[in-house]
Amino acid sequence: MSNGQSPFLQMESACGSLLHELQIIWDEIGESDAERERMLLELEQECLEIYRRKVDRANTSRAQLRQSIADAEAELAAICSTMGERPLHIRQSDQIPGSLKAELGAILPKIEELRKRKYDRKNQFTEVLEQIQSLESEIYGSSENTSTDTVVDETDLSLRKLEELHRELQELHKEKSERLKQVLDHMNSLNSLCSVLGLDFKQIVSEVHPSLGETEGSKDISSDTIEQLEVAILRLRKLKLQRMQRLQDLAASLLELWNLMDTPIEEQQIFQKATCNLVASEDEITDPDMLSMNYINYVEAEVSRLEELKASKMKEIVLKKKSELEDICRKMHLIPESDSAMDIAIDAIESGAVDAAYVLEKIELQIAEVKEEALSRKEILEKVEKWIAACEEESWLEEYNRDENRYNAGRGTHLNLKRAEKARVLVSKLPAMVDALTSKTTAWQRDRGVVFTYDGTCLLSMLEEFTTLRQEKDLERKKQRDQKKLQGQLLAEQEVLYGSKPSPMKNQSMKKGPGLSSSGASNRSLSFNGAMPQTPKPDILPSAKTTPNTPHNVKKNERVNLDNRRDEGRTGLESSSIPAKQHSLNIMNACETESPKTRKPFTPISSIIDSSKSNATYNSEDPNEKSNETFQKALPNINTPFTTHSKIISAMEEENQTPRTRPSTPSTVSDSMQTAMTPAPPAVLPRNDKPTEVAEEIEYSFEERRAGFVLSTAHLENTLQVL
Amino acid sequence: MTAAPQSTGRELTGPPTDGISNIRFSNHSDNLLVSSWDKSVRLYDASANALRGEFMHGGAVLDCCFHDDSSGFTACADHTVRRLVFNYGREDILGRHDAPVRCVEYSYATGQVITGSWDKTLKCWDPRGASGQERSLIGTYTQPERVYSLSLVGNRLVVATAGRHVNVYDLRNMSQPEQRRESSLKYQTRCVRCYPNGTGYALSSVEGRVAMEFFDLSEAGQSKKYAFKCHRKSEAGRDIVYPVNAIAFHPIYGTFATGGCDGYVNVWDGNNKKRLYQYPKYPTSIAALSFSRDGRLLAVASSYTYEEGDKPHEPDAIFVRSVNEVEVKPKPKVLPNPGT
Repeated sequence: MSNGQSPFLQMESACGSLLHELQIIWDEIGESDAERERMLLELEQECLEIYRRKVDRANTSRAQLRQSIADAEAELAAICSTMGERPLHIRQSDQIPGSLKAELGAILPKIEELRKRKYDRKNQFTEVLEQIQSLESEIYGSSENTSTDTVVDETDLSLRKLEELHRELQELHKEKSERLKQVLDHMNSLNSLCSVLGLDFKQIVSEVHPSLGETEGSKDISSDTIEQLEVAILRLRKLKLQRMQRLQDLAASLLELWNLMDTPIEEQQIFQKATCNLVASEDEITDPDMLSMNYINYVEAEVSRLEELKASKMKEIVLKKKSELEDICRKMHLIPESDSAMDIAIDAIESGAVDAAYVLEKIELQIAEVKEEALSRKEILEKVEKWIAACEEESWLEEYNRDENRYNAGRGTHLNLKRAEKARVLVSKLPAMVDALTSKTTAWQRDRGVVFTYDGTCLLSMLEEFTTLRQEKDLERKKQRDQKKLQGQLLAEQEVLYGSKPSPMKNQSMKKGPGLSSSGASNRSLSFNGAMPQTPKPDILPSAKTTPNTPHNVKKNERVNLDNRRDEGRTGLESSSIPAKQHSLNIMNACETESPKTRKPFTPISSIIDSSKSNATYNSEDPNEKSNETFQKALPNINTPFTTHSKIISAMEEENQTPRTRPSTPSTVSDSMQTAMTPAPPAVLPRNDKPTEVAEEIEYSFEERRAGFVLSTAHLENTLQVL
Repeated sequence: MTAAPQSTGRELTGPPTDGISNIRFSNHSDNLLVSSWDKSVRLYDASANALRGEFMHGGAVLDCCFHDDSSGFTACADHTVRRLVFNYGREDILGRHDAPVRCVEYSYATGQVITGSWDKTLKCWDPRGASGQERSLIGTYTQPERVYSLSLVGNRLVVATAGRHVNVYDLRNMSQPEQRRESSLKYQTRCVRCYPNGTGYALSSVEGRVAMEFFDLSEAGQSKKYAFKCHRKSEAGRDIVYPVNAIAFHPIYGTFATGGCDGYVNVWDGNNKKRLYQYPKYPTSIAALSFSRDGRLLAVASSYTYEEGDKPHEPDAIFVRSVNEVEVKPKPKVLPNPGT
């Protein structure tokens, strides 16, 4: 202040001196007082003006200062609010209101500091947000990769928000690790599944996401990947279940087969792995390659091998049983029923059409039935045996009796004598035996309601036949005896007359050893003179022949049919040489065709025909109603429709028109077109046809019809002249 | 239609707007000449699927053929035979018939253009005599009937007409047919095409049948000929027969494709009498077929051929399919020598 006073005073003194100087000048000039007064006023006014200007300037600069302070304060407040801090109230904090400049000076560094803080904070936000974003993209798929620079919300940079973001980040970290764990878990389970199923783990995993297949590097953990992994696991698990089911089925059949066939333990040991898991649940099967296709196929092969073995064994058993059945039947003199049916069944087993077990069961049943029947037949059969034996003895005796030398001394003669003695006793018992047998048999038949058969023949009829035969034989014997007696008489008479006796005839052929006549069907049948039928042997040969034959024939027929079909449907060109056979065809069709000359279909005409009209007339006509007489008239009409496509021609005539030697049956279809189709004579060209004759027949190509081209008479005449 | 590009082949963009009468590949490139009832002739680059040129005529164009890669000839329903120069977009009239011209062929052997018309004549033209019909016309040869189809091989020309006539000419002596024949088939001839080895021709009829004929008139030669059924559909014991519109021989293997109104293209081995392949069904009738010069491409014109008169039908389309060797290679015999 003191500094400023001296110049002020100086200026005041200068003003005074200047005023004084002015007064001196005015005095000198002699200026009037009024003038002086006016000039002084002017001076004062000018001075005032200058003062006012200065004051105004000072005023505006003060206002500006205030403005900038206010701005700074506002910025301060804004920054504080964005950072979530309590706003600093400068004016309130320092109560002493210093000068404005000091105030501004105090605010500016604060702003600077706050700005810096804000910038730092913003960086922090960016960092966190970036991390969040990268994690999010990792987790939710890299769909939003494009927004690389993170946008920070400038309006809220508070610590609270930062904390929030940090929390979010942490959560994301947690989720990431969880997901990673999940992925790894999935991969582990996939791996175990793959190892069990014998699949390539790497490949499956790479299919889901290429990053999973690599041993190093980060794994993709997006939801999509996890989902796909889950799907893959589900798929593999399903596959595993399927295969497990299959393997268990196989194992079950294996066990069954082992059990059935007493497979040695060593052989079983190989498949122990498969069978021990028979009742294992899904997650109990963990052995690598346990469910691989290879292993399953391996087991399957074993099963099929065993099954084959089983089948052959079954067949063996069936055959054995069958022979057993046959044996029993033979013993019981029964005819095994439906032998050919059995053969068919065995064939069926071989072809796999019928379960061997079923056939076996059936055979067993049959055996049981036969055995039961055998029991009931036993008594009668024994009697039959006895009877037959007696019959044999009888026949032997007969022969023996016929031997004239039977009493000649020799080896074994005494044995024969003894046998003959016994036989005679037996023979005497025969009628009683037969009677007893008959009554027994009838009783049996009455009981059962079935005819008692012996080797397929009715026993009763056998017995009956035997009795009648016996009666006949008795009669004959009697006759013989009478004759012998007569002969004896004659001999005696001769003896009386001539005194000599013819030596008994020695019949070599009649001489038979005792062993020869012991037993045997041939002998027996001889004794019965064929009354006793031979056991009808099952006619295996023809039946075996016919059964396979039928399907064979059928197959052959089928093949023939197939050939025919192929013939019809073949894609090759159906060919035949045309000219050579045309004549024959002509002859064949001659019965219903007229002279070829009248039926040349493609000859020029002189009159104009409205083709469409004729077309219509043709279409309206039912071809089936057309007779041979109308056919010539119809012909011109036929020509035109042929230019339209999709004309339907019956298969019949089709055949007809193919120039083949195959005989045609022309009259079945009364389609008029058929006749029109017989080939025109190949040699003659229609050159000099009379126009009148040809007039109705005109053909036009599609193009001519489209172009509306019509042959004029002038044209025709012209050409005719030329021709 | 483009739904199944693999099975039917690539469809050319910008097809004709009306029935396609013929398509032909060039002998020098994969250019494809297409004639149509919409009075246009179009030139496509089949491999690039691009339209290279278009000519409008006074009437429906019934046939077209290449001269060389840069020019071609057309047969027009307005009775004219025209020559087209593709590079300059120029066309001039080579000559006239008295009726619509049905077919046109260019003989590389004689350098002549041969046209067949419904006026029952065949005309030979010299395309070099550019100006004036009087100079370009070489000869007119009367046919027994309206000409329906022509085919050339070497110096042989086979003319199939209405009335099932078939005339075989030697181009060096056109005064009269070398052979006058009647079609072995009983119905109207649709198409005739010579074997690439020059020993005979295949002839198709409206009644789903193709005859394989031989020029050799000896008994041994004629004994080889035969006919076969194709393009039929069996329904409930009845056959529906379709016209066989197109035959195209494979330039290398001598096997051939037939196209019918059933929309099918079949590939046959004539020597071994076998069907080699059937392509999937096309939307509508097969109007024309053409193999490219190396046989690698097959152009198929799927276009209603008016066989059932004026009726709604599928749009006309051209498919170009690449031909697999197995589809066209003769099968059982190794000898790739067709027709012999």
